[in-house]
Amino acid sequence: MSLFDIIFTGSEQALAACKSIVEKTVAERGENAKVAFPGTAYSLPTIYAATGKKINTLAELKNVIPMIESLIVKEQNLEKALNAGLATAVAAEVIEACKYVGENTPYAEPCIGFIPDTVIRSLGVPLVTGDIPGVAVIIGEAPSDEEAAKIIKSYQTKGLLVFLVGKIIDQAINTKIKMGLELRIIPLGYDVTSVIHVVTVAIRAALIFGNVQPGNLAELLKYTKERVPAFVNALGPLSELVVSAGAGAIALGFPVITDQDVQEVPENLIVQKDHDKIAATSLEARGIKIKITEIPIPVGFAAAFEGERVRKED
Amino acid sequence: MQDELSYVKDETAIPSLLKKAKDDKIETVWDRALAMQPQCGFGEMGVCCTNCSMGPCRIVKISPDGPKKGICGATEDTIASRNFARSVAAGSAAHSDHGRDIAEALHYAAEQKRPIKDEKKLRALAEEWGIQTEGRSVEDLASKVAEKALNEFGKPFGHLQFVERAPQKRKEIWESMDVTPRAIDRDIVEVLHSTHMGCDADYRNIITAAVRAALSDGWGGSMIGTELSDILFGTPVPHEVEANLGVLKKDCVNIVVHGHEPTLSEALVLAVNDPDLIEAAKQEGAQGINLVGMCCTGNEVAMRHGIPMAGNFFQQELAVVTGVVEAMVVDVQCIMPSLPQVAKCYHTKLITTSRKAKIPGAVHMEFDEKNSVECARKIVLEAVMNFKNRTDNVLVPEEKVTGRIGYSVESIIRALDGITNTFAHQSGTVKPLVDAVKSGVLRGVAAIVGCNNHRVPADQSHVLLAKELIKNDVLVVTTGCGAHACIKAGLMSEDAVKLCGKGLATCCELLKVPPVLHMGSCVDISRILQLLAIISKYMNVDIKDLPVAAAAPEWMSEKALSIGTYAVASGIYVVLGVTPQITGSENLTKYLTSDMENIYGGRFEIESDPIKAAHKILDHIEVKRKQLDI
Ligand code: SF4
Ligand code: SF4
Repeated sequence: MSLFDIIFTGSEQALAACKSIVEKTVAERGENAKVAFPGTAYSLPTIYAATGKKINTLAELKNVIPMIESLIVKEQNLEKALNAGLATAVAAEVIEACKYVGENTPYAEPCIGFIPDTVIRSLGVPLVTGDIPGVAVIIGEAPSDEEAAKIIKSYQTKGLLVFLVGKIIDQAINTKIKMGLELRIIPLGYDVTSVIHVVTVAIRAALIFGNVQPGNLAELLKYTKERVPAFVNALGPLSELVVSAGAGAIALGFPVITDQDVQEVPENLIVQKDHDKIAATSLEARGIKIKITEIPIPVGFAAAFEGERVRKED
Repeated sequence: MQDELSYVKDETAIPSLLKKAKDDKIETVWDRALAMQPQCGFGEMGVCCTNCSMGPCRIVKISPDGPKKGICGATEDTIASRNFARSVAAGSAAHSDHGRDIAEALHYAAEQKRPIKDEKKLRALAEEWGIQTEGRSVEDLASKVAEKALNEFGKPFGHLQFVERAPQKRKEIWESMDVTPRAIDRDIVEVLHSTHMGCDADYRNIITAAVRAALSDGWGGSMIGTELSDILFGTPVPHEVEANLGVLKKDCVNIVVHGHEPTLSEALVLAVNDPDLIEAAKQEGAQGINLVGMCCTGNEVAMRHGIPMAGNFFQQELAVVTGVVEAMVVDVQCIMPSLPQVAKCYHTKLITTSRKAKIPGAVHMEFDEKNSVECARKIVLEAVMNFKNRTDNVLVPEEKVTGRIGYSVESIIRALDGITNTFAHQSGTVKPLVDAVKSGVLRGVAAIVGCNNHRVPADQSHVLLAKELIKNDVLVVTTGCGAHACIKAGLMSEDAVKLCGKGLATCCELLKVPPVLHMGSCVDISRILQLLAIISKYMNVDIKDLPVAAAAPEWMSEKALSIGTYAVASGIYVVLGVTPQITGSENLTKYLTSDMENIYGGRFEIESDPIKAAHKILDHIEVKRKQLDI
């Protein structure tokens, strides 16, 4: 199957999942049930930023589905593939929003789920100054707990903000990695869809710090690409859904580095099977250079220069 | 009279200059094309034969009682295929003689210990050809490589060295058809022999001979020309260049170098930078000397030195009409014999330099490769001394654009290195390009090559085709007058990215290249073959399996026919915008446009509408993608 077809398939799966969960939630709670993420002025941030519309009720949430459908056009070109990736992101937001309907608190320790605006405001300054040189989003499962710990720590020692999604959270716990916002390691959730909670961090950064107007999708994507130094590490077997979510990341300008066999896309989707090199590969792919002097002397300091882009011919 | 405007609206004709030509009573190619209407149907269909003095013979198709055979008994199939094959042979001969001259130039350069610009490439080629490199001086190596190259033209046994560059499956196809090129001159001569009266009468067999002669061009003469030119004069690297007739300068001595072989133009590049000659120009009242290039030799010096690209085939007369050209210096191929008449109306000196191409009415100053710089100096001095003869009747057009060119295979691979990940990939391969294509970000690659021709709107066919392809995420590579057309239309500028589909635009931004890559002159189409061979080998498939295509939307010369034929025989789908003179034979037409695909994997397509041509190419590319399961 062509890469684009994998993406389309994943997006259709996301759409189907989204439809059924909305239906189920409506059946349980009624169309007028309130929809909101906790602690944000940006409603459902992905949908708000993309369309300029705030979603308040399940009825309104239901209306987002045709928009997702319209983003999935199965034509073989990059533009359509990236749109399908965005469709998956929107579908993920809808699914996650359903989890929060009513007074639900769907996420429990250690997972954080939705991240409130206050946190984003506090992260903004260090991101702009480069004190946080990058944002690593690790999805899936490393081949062993030790490998997982090694990768996470390699980012932590360089001061990056690390978000974890999926089994890697357990792997971090097993290896006694301390997690929490101040430690810059944030476990989001076990479902793939919980990755949207880091996507909305980038999106709200664009709205808050970039002054991007809600509804101006092109500007939004430009801001995330140019200003939010994030990337994704997709570890372990890749479902179509993960690949299509990856396309969403690429649409936002975030490269995806995976340890699985998949058709590479130069600079955007890179295969790195050597887990010792995943961090270096990722930092180079996102063009992240580590400001060595500003790092509080951490363990594993010697690795700090790995992110430098060194060309053989230079 | 036909509607004159249908010729005049062509983009390549700068309106202000065309008007001036009219005012000055200059007859141009457009006027002559108009005067020629209607053109002879027998020739147009390829069913006129003059191969012996029993003829001329013609096959009459339109009425039942006209002759159906030549006096010797040759059928329409025989006559049309013989004509086609002879054209291919002529095209191959032109390119190959060009290649031979470069090989000779390398030989003399070695003998006279003149500098060899790309030693690395010289060594690599020597190794490829099994020449011992260790402990050899550059001169020694250059002379050995030149000798080996010169032997390619007439060696008695074996096949051409560059055949080895082709992927294995391709070589097997050639072997099975017995078309593996052997020695360049021999393969050309064989076409002339078998198309003599009373020889080969089987149209398929005649085309097979033509294929062999064409392959001798692409994988022989042209490839030798390109490779040895790079060795001698340097392998092109990306840089900015100006294009169109606006590059002429009112206050300078303008020299237009026109033709094909870089030996002459390279020597001119040296000569125009000679301080004595610049001083002489200033003495004559000029600000300096402005060298600009036209057609393929223009491509050569633009690719290597950033010399402005003054224009393409249909602009050669208009260049003189500006009234500011002190000398148009020409060597061989695509030089309109009308030029002396145009030059006569102004002060311009048309200077011929090759004993292979003299034109009545021109000044002949023979270029001697053994004495190249001295010859070039004399020519430049002639131009400088002509500055004072300029009249007030001048018009320097405003049309001028900038573009980025210089995409040799080497610089393409270097650009690709820029988007590899140091920790995940090797450098020096075509992997990023293959990945872009396999992932679907790029749908494929198409080559746009060839000339100008009054039968289709000149330059527009190149440009519309290129625009439609890049809009649909197909990377375009171009050479020859197609490259001139594309750069003039701004397709090699940074802004051109705006005309691309998202996939191609993304690639261009990452690679920092324009969506239309200028790969050089007509002989440099061998660079495209080389690139395709590298990609095929990397992907472990044959060239015919790749999602690629080629087009010659405005082709006119026999060289273009040879190019088209070697491309088809190399497995490439080739769209011709101008119908070749074959339609009098249905069998031949079917053979070229259909049967050949079963044999070689490539075929000719005829489509004069550039947008339709683009969509045929896109369809072809999608079929190939399906077959590759990507
Ligand atoms: S070769 Fe045959 S067809 Fe050609 S001119 Fe002679 S007689 Fe006529
Ligand atoms: S493209 Fe055609 S017209 Fe132009 S220089 Fe080459 S052969 Fe001549």
